[in-house]
Amino acid sequence: MKQKTLRELDLAEERLEAAHSGLAATFAPAAEIVASELRDDQVIEWAEKGLEMAEQSVRSWEAAARFFEVSPAVARMMPFNYFMKWADCGSELCMESPTLAVSYFAASPGAMSRLRSRHIETWANLGRGLYKGTWKSSALATRFFEASPKLLATLTVPEMERFAGLLGALSHRSYDMAAECLAISEDIFPMLGEDKRAFIRLGASLTETTWRQVKGLFESVARALPAIQPDQRARFLRLAQGLQDSGKANLPAAISSAGQAMSQLDGEHHEPILGMGETLMKKTPGAVPSFIESCPRALEKVSISQLSQWFEQGVGILDLNEDGGLAYFRIESAKSHEALEILSSSVELSRIKDVMEMYCLALAGADVKLAASNELADKNIGWVSDEAPTTEGSTVYLPAQEGRYPTKEENFALYKVVSTHQVAHLEFGSFRFRYDLPSTLFDDLRPQIAAVPKDRDAQAAEGGWATDMQRFFDLFEERRLALDVFTIVEDGRLDAIVVSDYPGIRTSYLAVQDGALKSRPDIRSLPAREALVELMVRLSLRQESGLAAPAKYRDEAGQVAALARKVATPTAVVEDAAEATLRIYAILSQVPNEETAPDDWEEVDVSDTEGAEAGLDDQQLLNQLTQQSEEGQADEQEYNPSQDVDYRGEFKPELGQMMTELRMQRQEQPGDQEGEQITQEMLEEMLKSSAEVDLESGEGGTEEATGAFADNMLKEAGLNMPQTPEMGQGPLVHLDEDGGPLNPDEPQTFVYDEWDFRADDYKPRWCIVRQKTMAEGDAGYFGSTLHSYGPLADQIRRQFEMLVPEMFRKVRKLEDGEEIDIDDVIEAIVDIRTGAGPSEKLYWKRNKVQRDVAVVFLLDTSASTAEAIEEAKKVTDDWDAPSDPVEYMVWLRTRRGEGMRRSYKRIIDLEKEAMVLLIHALEAIGDVYGIYSFSGYGRENVEFYTIKDIDENFSERVQRRIDRVAPLHATRMGPAIRHATSKLEAQDARTKLLFLISDGRPQDRGYSREGVEKEYAVHDTRMALDEALDKDINAFCLTVDKNGHDYLKTMCADMGYEVLDDIYTLPNRLLYLYRRLTI
Amino acid sequence: MTTRTQTLYRSYIIEEYHLADEPYYVPVGDEIELFEAAYRQRIPILFKGPTGCGKTRFVEYMSYRLGQPLTRVSQRSGEDADDSDVQNGHRNIPLVTIACHEDLTASDLVGRYLLQGDSTIWIDGPLTRAVKAGGICYLDEIVEARKDTTVLIHPLTDHRRILPVEKRGELLEAAEGFLLVMSYNPGYQSALKDLKHSTRQRFVAIEFHPPPPEIESQIVEHEAGVDRKTAEQLAKLGEKVRNLREHGLAEGASTRLLIYAGKLMAQGIQPRRACQVAVNWAVTDDSSIHSSIAEVISSIFE
Ligand SMILES: Nc1ncnc2c1ncn2[C@@H]1O[C@H](COP(=O)(O)OP(=O)(O)OP(=O)(O)O)[C@@H](O)[C@H]1O
Ligand SMILES: [Mg+2]
Repeated sequence: MKQKTLRELDLAEERLEAAHSGLAATFAPAAEIVASELRDDQVIEWAEKGLEMAEQSVRSWEAAARFFEVSPAVARMMPFNYFMKWADCGSELCMESPTLAVSYFAASPGAMSRLRSRHIETWANLGRGLYKGTWKSSALATRFFEASPKLLATLTVPEMERFAGLLGALSHRSYDMAAECLAISEDIFPMLGEDKRAFIRLGASLTETTWRQVKGLFESVARALPAIQPDQRARFLRLAQGLQDSGKANLPAAISSAGQAMSQLDGEHHEPILGMGETLMKKTPGAVPSFIESCPRALEKVSISQLSQWFEQGVGILDLNEDGGLAYFRIESAKSHEALEILSSSVELSRIKDVMEMYCLALAGADVKLAASNELADKNIGWVSDEAPTTEGSTVYLPAQEGRYPTKEENFALYKVVSTHQVAHLEFGSFRFRYDLPSTLFDDLRPQIAAVPKDRDAQAAEGGWATDMQRFFDLFEERRLALDVFTIVEDGRLDAIVVSDYPGIRTSYLAVQDGALKSRPDIRSLPAREALVELMVRLSLRQESGLAAPAKYRDEAGQVAALARKVATPTAVVEDAAEATLRIYAILSQVPNEETAPDDWEEVDVSDTEGAEAGLDDQQLLNQLTQQSEEGQADEQEYNPSQDVDYRGEFKPELGQMMTELRMQRQEQPGDQEGEQITQEMLEEMLKSSAEVDLESGEGGTEEATGAFADNMLKEAGLNMPQTPEMGQGPLVHLDEDGGPLNPDEPQTFVYDEWDFRADDYKPRWCIVRQKTMAEGDAGYFGSTLHSYGPLADQIRRQFEMLVPEMFRKVRKLEDGEEIDIDDVIEAIVDIRTGAGPSEKLYWKRNKVQRDVAVVFLLDTSASTAEAIEEAKKVTDDWDAPSDPVEYMVWLRTRRGEGMRRSYKRIIDLEKEAMVLLIHALEAIGDVYGIYSFSGYGRENVEFYTIKDIDENFSERVQRRIDRVAPLHATRMGPAIRHATSKLEAQDARTKLLFLISDGRPQDRGYSREGVEKEYAVHDTRMALDEALDKDINAFCLTVDKNGHDYLKTMCADMGYEVLDDIYTLPNRLLYLYRRLTI
Repeated sequence: MTTRTQTLYRSYIIEEYHLADEPYYVPVGDEIELFEAAYRQRIPILFKGPTGCGKTRFVEYMSYRLGQPLTRVSQRSGEDADDSDVQNGHRNIPLVTIACHEDLTASDLVGRYLLQGDSTIWIDGPLTRAVKAGGICYLDEIVEARKDTTVLIHPLTDHRRILPVEKRGELLEAAEGFLLVMSYNPGYQSALKDLKHSTRQRFVAIEFHPPPPEIESQIVEHEAGVDRKTAEQLAKLGEKVRNLREHGLAEGASTRLLIYAGKLMAQGIQPRRACQVAVNWAVTDDSSIHSSIAEVISSIFE
């Protein structure tokens, strides 16, 4: 420092001391530090600023003292011009109020570290704006500065401005309250995420309306927020805003109790509940607090999905009656209680699906699946109900939830009854109906029906029905009536079998039948023909007495009842149901659907079945069947289809049999089926004539609807009819996916089948695996990776070495050992006696079994493995540098290279590192191992890279190859697994292991049904893993995909798998698992 | 003080063990004809099938049946049949059963020298005894035996029908009635433990499957002493549980388990409970499959 400068500073010091004694002592040490940071002229400018301030007024020396005190710290944070700006702002504040300036300076080091230099003035003005010359305003402004470092840690400058605005507005009402709110806000802001404005706005609007509540608001928010999931807090506050805007409630109280409620809820539920709150807010804001407060109580009874059902019902009530709705959401209304009761005792399909699916599988003895009814409706193949139970021949569809009964047990029993009935269609052959097969209970009419009436034999003329069921229903003019009759008779037959074959379920079955009776229409309210149909329904539900029929048709009623009951026996077959249907239909066709006067009804005695049947004459029935119907009488009503029996649901025999046959057709090899293939035309013909589909309901004309249904059915059966390209296939379908089997065209290519789960069969020779050897990169990668893991690598290796002598086995005939073998000793003595030379090998011992493990590691190198994972926490420092000079150079290069290219790690990098550690460890114990990576695009290009072939010895070349492992294309796992399996198959080890390391679900172009169905890939992969298991190869999947659980459960049903939450644990975990799996 | 001792067990000399009473056996297919034909031609027989489906019972039955006059086999001339063996025209065919295990050695099968006082005596192993006595030798779970042991039976199972007894330096020619029968459950064998082809191809294989419900219910009724209806329900349960094979169950419920369940019921245990303990827990440890089977049980039994 120049002499001149020193002198000037000395001078300043003197003047300062003059302004206030002791000030010099503050100045001197500060000046020393500041001088080391600034140029001489700047130091002087700074000193003068302080001096100026000190001399401003009587008390301004305090501000100056603080200014000097913090200057060293602040000077370091900003360029000199801003530093002076800062001083000027302080100086100006000091002119207003030295106290203000003191707090400004005191807060500066903390605030400046968070504030950009250009915002200094804004900040100073915010505090200054709060100062109104009064003592109280001074206190508020001072507090503001004091709080600033903390506030600025979470608020941006614009937010800070808004917040100061709020404080200002509040201070117009009460300075004390503003100050208190300021204090509380220090705790609130850190709890808010990105969105602080929601809160500030809330405060501002409350200040405008009911300012006295603002402090309450701050307090309640501070209490409520910690209980709410961080990402949901802003939503919560926005709801509060909504409430505030509606002007209805005492906001602080509402927030308090809502927060209280939220704190009792599972964090996972915050999101859906606030979602419901938002819906409600749009309708009736006043109901929102009650709703949220009621949630903990409601959730004690019901699941979150059921809660949303309860909510929906409440919204419905609210629409009708606001007060009723409000009471509902407070769970104060009877309706609300009732709704919760019903929901809480109801059973959700998703919870029982696995158990019931196995149950159905056991009963049916065929591959039956279970699904919710709406899934079938979504397929658009003719079934429309979202709730009715049904089956289409391979899957049993059930309602998503059952809550009809007051207890869970009863509702579960209902599910069981419903499933048992549906599966009975499969178990007892509803869809196995054959037109030409004789019945067991009747003289068959079918062969005797010589010709069906005109206009219905069109199909016959064309020479074929697609299914036997279609042929059967073609016999009837009024197909809908025939369908109703057949449904009732067949369901009655199945129920009779179930109740007799499964005595254990009888009680609940009968109870459900009783229940079903209650929701049947009153027979006496129906026209004659419908009345007789309803009579049959009730009979099939075991109603024995109180059955009515029009007196006029007393005999017909008796006959119909007798026929229906005849089939309701455990030995009846589906053909019996068909024969009964023919007869009943013939009888009903003679009964006009006319009204009956209340007095003309009569109770029917259904016990005399024999007498009733005796009145039937086959020939006459045949005549009635083939007769053209006469013109309806004037008072005849149109026939209204019979209402489905609730637990039996929808029965569609024609569609069901069609689907069954289509599936069979899919499994047949082309050329070896005896019958004719079902074509799209035949399918459409069936659909048009069938009474089971409603072609009018869909969009577009009948013609279009038929085409769409037929298309969907074919797809559903896995029969994607070969189409010409111009027929316009979806963009997702690739031509090659429709092609046929492939042939390996080059050496080192292998062809594998692929599993099509829809078709339940393999697509033969579907994928080509191209095996290549990984290109070679830098050998240094291996060493440097090992090095970066430091002592850990060696520790892992030692753990592996300890693995070796894990198993023991008795070995005999040793010269030395644990114990003498008595058999051998006797033998030796015998030898001595007989004069032969005795053996000296008389001992046995438990010996180490040679570890005999062969393993293949399969690395997923799909493009997604290039994804970055957040920067490693571990910072490698230079101590890690290899000592070997050559390695060192490489190490340096990679480090620099990495620094330039990317500073983040990718999934694949961790996969590679894991491989390096693994090789290091495996070489210690001598297991046979191979490492391969796979990727590919399309089924003809599954790339399979050898990093270390299973028979190959570890070498520098292997090290080089690892370096080159890089993300490639898609993930077609199935063929890669099959190829790896073939490698292991060729090995002769006791334990064989296939280790799959991946980053996500299998995915590839066309690796799906029509390119959209993820399940396809998952199932094929699963099948490939199953195949490995069949070959005694244990498979294990390790994935870093957090969403892995959902598909891995299917994919690795019988195998082990693990989802890594933290990808950084991959190398460690892999080694751990490997050890555990091979012991 | 007098002590009375009472023999609480019966012991048999191996080759004297034969079945006095006809074992209960219900044929499921043509296995009886096949066995008889093979026996007449002295072709060794391999039983393949899951556990508890009647393999052991069948070989017992056949050894009894073949001793009956109708199917009586001609004896080798020169060997005089011991009169005690022939009663009422019934010549007993001894049944020697050997359970195979990993440590089974050749000496265990063929025999070994033992010391007795100052001298040594030779004791025949069970296989040698069966060979000499002309009995049926039943090797249960043959795949469990070590491969070197398995090879021992090769000369016995081709046209030579000899057993080399190395230690004594002799070759034993099998007596007329001798036949080797082995059993093998392909279900849970690992590929490593598979039979050698040279062994396998010395046998004709008779396959055993769980009997169809009509027959199985008959067996259960007889063996467990339950009524017809219960037996039918048990057979139904067996059928339904077997439907779950390949859907998570390694093996279905065997006839033996169904009989156990029936026996418990005959002792007064509640049917559902009996099936739980005898069938459900025996076939699976997987809780989901377990619940499903429990539902099947509760549908079938009241
Ligand atoms: N066809 C049959 N006739 C009579 N009883 C049978 C029949 N099949 C099975 N059993 C009964 O089943 C029981 C089990 O059969 P057995 O012990 O013969 O089975 P196994 O096939 O030898 O089984 P493992 O392979 O486990 O030894 C028998 O005790 C018998 O009661
Ligand atoms: Mg046995």
